[in-house]
Amino acid sequence: MLRDITIGQYYPAQSVIHCLDPRVKIAGTLAYIISLFWISNIWGYVAAILFFAFLVALSKVPFSYIIRGLKPILFLMAFTGLINLFQTPGKTIWQWGILQISENGIRTAIFLILRLILLVIGSSLMTLTTTPNQLTDGLERLLRPLNRVHIPVHEVAMMMSIALRFIPILIEEADKIMKAQMARGADFESGNIFQRLRNMLPLLVPLFVSAARRANDLAYAMEARCYCGGEGRTKMRPLRYSFADLAAYSCMAVYLILLFVLRRW
Amino acid sequence: MLMELKNVNYIYGIGSGYEKHAVKNLNLRIGPGEFIGVVGHTGSGKSTLARLLNGLEKPTSGQVCYHGIDIHNKDFDRKELRSKVGLVFQYPEHQLFEVSVIKDVEFGPRNIGLKPLEVELRAYNALKLTGIGEELIDASPHALSGGQKRRVAIAGVLAMEPEILILDEPTAGLDPQGRTEILELLERLHQEQGLTILLISHSMEDVARYADRILVMRQGELVLDGPPARIFRYEEELQAIGLNVPESIGILHQLQKHGMTGGEDCVTAEEAAAAIAAWIRK
Repeated sequence: MLRDITIGQYYPAQSVIHCLDPRVKIAGTLAYIISLFWISNIWGYVAAILFFAFLVALSKVPFSYIIRGLKPILFLMAFTGLINLFQTPGKTIWQWGILQISENGIRTAIFLILRLILLVIGSSLMTLTTTPNQLTDGLERLLRPLNRVHIPVHEVAMMMSIALRFIPILIEEADKIMKAQMARGADFESGNIFQRLRNMLPLLVPLFVSAARRANDLAYAMEARCYCGGEGRTKMRPLRYSFADLAAYSCMAVYLILLFVLRRW
Repeated sequence: MLMELKNVNYIYGIGSGYEKHAVKNLNLRIGPGEFIGVVGHTGSGKSTLARLLNGLEKPTSGQVCYHGIDIHNKDFDRKELRSKVGLVFQYPEHQLFEVSVIKDVEFGPRNIGLKPLEVELRAYNALKLTGIGEELIDASPHALSGGQKRRVAIAGVLAMEPEILILDEPTAGLDPQGRTEILELLERLHQEQGLTILLISHSMEDVARYADRILVMRQGELVLDGPPARIFRYEEELQAIGLNVPESIGILHQLQKHGMTGGEDCVTAEEAAAAIAAWIRK
């Protein structure tokens, strides 16, 4: 059950999207996410969904694998959806006690849920097609100008790549500890919320202990390899834009212009 | 039969891009009172086998039976099964979480729903069996040494009084003394308590001395199954999958190639030495 979280998990495949420069994918994802907040009518969403479907088809990542990332936010989606459904003022079409649904409410709820879904699967697509290493390489490069204002870009990028790398490790570890405790009769699935929280202790305590141990080991390993930050460090494979990357930027630009036009419509 | 596996297959992550056939067409019968050693390389399916046996993983196809009943039947009590088929994971000390040793050991029996007095009694017994002294009972489990932690973790499983104890690499990462302590503990449990034991290891040396039956696994398949002395006759086959017979047995085989007679049933270094000595005196 813990293996269902896909954010930060790379899906190996040979595709155009996989081969793109990480900078394109980061900038593209960012633009896509911002574009979602910019959409105001149904045609905008149609365009956003079609564009995303196009990218998924190119990426060769199975669709089932992409939507798996939605599971953890199901509750959030249901919650925002319902709040908006009942709380948006407008022409009432159904009422029961203090609960009322307006035409506007239905519209806002659907749009919000769509937006949330696209947000999550949009960013999932990036992490599914880009290894954490490529991702931080890209980020480091994109944020390099910030070095001038004394922001330690390399260190932040390193921290991010470590954090990303640790997600699957900790998930696996949690899965293992969970099974080990289940083998001792632990029960993680029944009881009310307080009992469940208390039942999580046998999982959380060992998980924190192990995270601290791993962090410590990693620090020693880095120290032993004379790691001392970004200064003077060169890359084995420096990032370079290729023709495909420029084509991808153009695609993104066309999509954004299209959205702009649809907004005026 | 205590436990029986019938045509069991297990495939990880179907449709995820990381698909792996971890256990292939496995047939296995485990009788009460056996001491079985399972050897194989990393990724040979040993750990998966352990998890299949106590119902933590469900086979993709085939049956896992406990006293003749399929454990994945709808009305089978898998929680009860987990107390009867005790599983000690790799690095079990990583799962310790309570504030004191005794409380951690009590975790298992408490989960089965025993009365407080019974829980305490079992915990004390288990700690005694594993050789954890009275003075450590109220210590924090995180303050113990590696070998002690591991014995506490094993006590945590023993306290549930299982019928069969499965241990996944119980000696990994321990110093020679810690290793011997754990292995001798297992032998004692087997002989004095009559516990059925399944010892998973990649070291033939560890397994040979204590087990009375050895299973050799390769890439999810069971390739050899028999008493140690018989398994050791397949030295070349074992080497082909990257395993070795114990060093003393290797020497014995070399001598036999050069005309030594006798010593076919030797398993331990002592037996091998005795056989060689007897042959020299002849």
